[in-house]
Amino acid sequence: CGAVVMAQKGARPYDRIGEQVFAKVDKINAELFTLTYGSIVTQLVKDYEDLGEVNTQLEKMGYNIGVRLIEEFLARSNVGRCADFTETAEVVAKVGFKMFLGITANVTDWDAEKKEFSLVLDDNPLTEFVELPESYNKLWYANILCGVIRGALEMVQMKVEATYVKCVLHGHDVSEIRVLLKEILTDEIPASMRDE
Amino acid sequence: MGIKVVCASVIGKSNNPLYIRCFDNTEEPLKFHYIVHSALDVVEEKSTAKKGASLDLYLGMLYPTEDYRVYGYTTNSKIKFIIVVQEDGDSHDQAIKNFFRKFHVLYANTVANPFYTPDDLITSRKFNEELEKQVKTV
Repeated sequence: CGAVVMAQKGARPYDRIGEQVFAKVDKINAELFTLTYGSIVTQLVKDYEDLGEVNTQLEKMGYNIGVRLIEEFLARSNVGRCADFTETAEVVAKVGFKMFLGITANVTDWDAEKKEFSLVLDDNPLTEFVELPESYNKLWYANILCGVIRGALEMVQMKVEATYVKCVLHGHDVSEIRVLLKEILTDEIPASMRDE
Repeated sequence: MGIKVVCASVIGKSNNPLYIRCFDNTEEPLKFHYIVHSALDVVEEKSTAKKGASLDLYLGMLYPTEDYRVYGYTTNSKIKFIIVVQEDGDSHDQAIKNFFRKFHVLYANTVANPFYTPDDLITSRKFNEELEKQVKTV
């Protein structure tokens, strides 16, 4: 699979890798997943009351998921080293999101130095059926995804910041996460870990 | 020519109204509230009548008034859907059954919203919009 990919570098190979991996992984019922996540969010809202704090907690939870999820990802997807951050973005959007959420995100709006990009999601299983009450404007409902991205990339030596800038639950037509590369951690590379 | 849904309502477990929406601007909404409320007695009757035999969710026509007919549909979670229709000529049972089925699905989707507690009043904008669409295409 890796060899075939290299030969067709220009033809958006990550879409295909994403589909292949998605076909191989186990699936669960989408509604169960959506309802489970919904109950997590509502419970956090009840516990913390301050919506900003809920956002922070969701991000932290996501971080813990991300640092573990990356291993599963690397083991299953067989994606090799990424040459640069732009490639990392494509892999996250087309293979990562596809494998775990069944959707592909689009990478847009690169900055001049190629250190920042936007992940645009058309639909998201986490937000299916959800309608935010009026006073919940500060809540980024799917903020857990920002944490997952941060946790996963940290384990492959990239320190990033991921934040939501648009969300369909707030009336926008798409959801958008802005990802900023803060630094590449080159110091400790444990011999046992494969790099990306 | 067809049927026109003039009022659709969702009634909760303790016969508390969760949602009443009237689509006919010429009539007093209160009149429909009254019609729906009296229909609840018939629903009770029908639900307790047949013992042993498994009840269909669709209850059929509950009772006719001068200009309207009232239909009911109940769920195993004791949520009831009651609609008031203006019908000309024969009853369009199949169309009404289809409407109820879609209404039920719409309700289930609204309940799936984690921010909605069951037995609350239904204030969801999506629910309103979807229902309007369905009423138009009955």
